[in-house]
Amino acid sequence: MPISVQYERPAYELVEGLREPAQPLAVSRAEPSGWARQASVLRKLGPKAWVRVSLFRNYFASGWGENGRVLSPRALDAFFRFVEGATFPTGNRSPSVFLTDRGGIELCWEDRNGSPVQVEFTGGGIEYYEAATDEEGVVAFDGLAHLSQRLSA
Amino acid sequence: MPLAPTEDIVRAVCTDKWDGQRLSPSLFVGENISVSRLAITALEEHWDLFREHVEKPPRRHLMLIAEINVGRLQAIGGKEDPAVELTVEPRPEAWNPAHAEIPQKITRGLANKILPELKLHQPPASEQQ
Repeated sequence: MPISVQYERPAYELVEGLREPAQPLAVSRAEPSGWARQASVLRKLGPKAWVRVSLFRNYFASGWGENGRVLSPRALDAFFRFVEGATFPTGNRSPSVFLTDRGGIELCWEDRNGSPVQVEFTGGGIEYYEAATDEEGVVAFDGLAHLSQRLSA
Repeated sequence: MPLAPTEDIVRAVCTDKWDGQRLSPSLFVGENISVSRLAITALEEHWDLFREHVEKPPRRHLMLIAEINVGRLQAIGGKEDPAVELTVEPRPEAWNPAHAEIPQKITRGLANKILPELKLHQPPASEQQ
C-alpha cells in the first residue's frame, strides 16, 4: 500500500516584518584585570560577598530603595582596589558587603579583637570607621592604598 | 511636634542592608532617616506595608524589621561627645500615615551605637515557609 505524505500549511505564519534576524551567540569576557579583581573579592571576602557585589552591580537599577542611587563605578573601582591591597582577619565571619542609598558600597568586618571596622566607598571618596578608637573620617581616592594598609589585619 | 520618648519606631531592613550575619550601619547613617510609628500602625501590619511599598522584588526583599524606642534613641545620642539631640518628627505620607523621620545628621559612629540596641523582628512564622 503506497504511503502518501500530505503537506499541511502551518496554523500560524509570522509576518516577515516581525521576524528577527538570527543573532550569533555572543560570549562576553571581562577584562583580565576584571577577572583578577573578582577573584580577589572571592578569595578575600568569600562567595557571599562576591555574589552580593554582582547583584548590586547588575540588578539594582536607579531608584532601587528610598531613592537609592545606582552603584557608582568610581565607588566600585575603589572597592576593588581596596580589597586587592587589604588583608582581613580569618575568623568565623567573612566580611559583609552592603549597598548604600547614595550609590556607595560598604564593607564591614571585625578586627583581631572583634571591634567593628567599616569602610564605605562612594563616588566622591572613602569614609571609614574604627570602633576600637571610635574614629571616623573621610579620605580621597589617592589615600586609598594608605587606608587599605592601615586597616589591614 | 516630635514624638514622645515612650513611642516605639521601626525601620525596614532589606537585602541591601542585611546579608544574614551583619546589619549595615548605613541603615541609620545620614539625615532624614525614614522610620514608622508602631503607635499608629501595628508591627504585624508593617510587614504588608513595607512589602508593598519598600521592597522591590526580585532584587530587593524585606528581610527584617528593626525596632527601637524613641527615648532609648535619644539617650544614645545624649551620650555622644558632644551630645546629639535626636528627635523623631511625624511625616505622614499617603502610603504610610505612620511615617516619621529623624531629621538630624547621624554619623557612622553614632549609628554603630544605635545598631546593637535595635530589636530585630523576623517575618511571621507563617510567611517563612
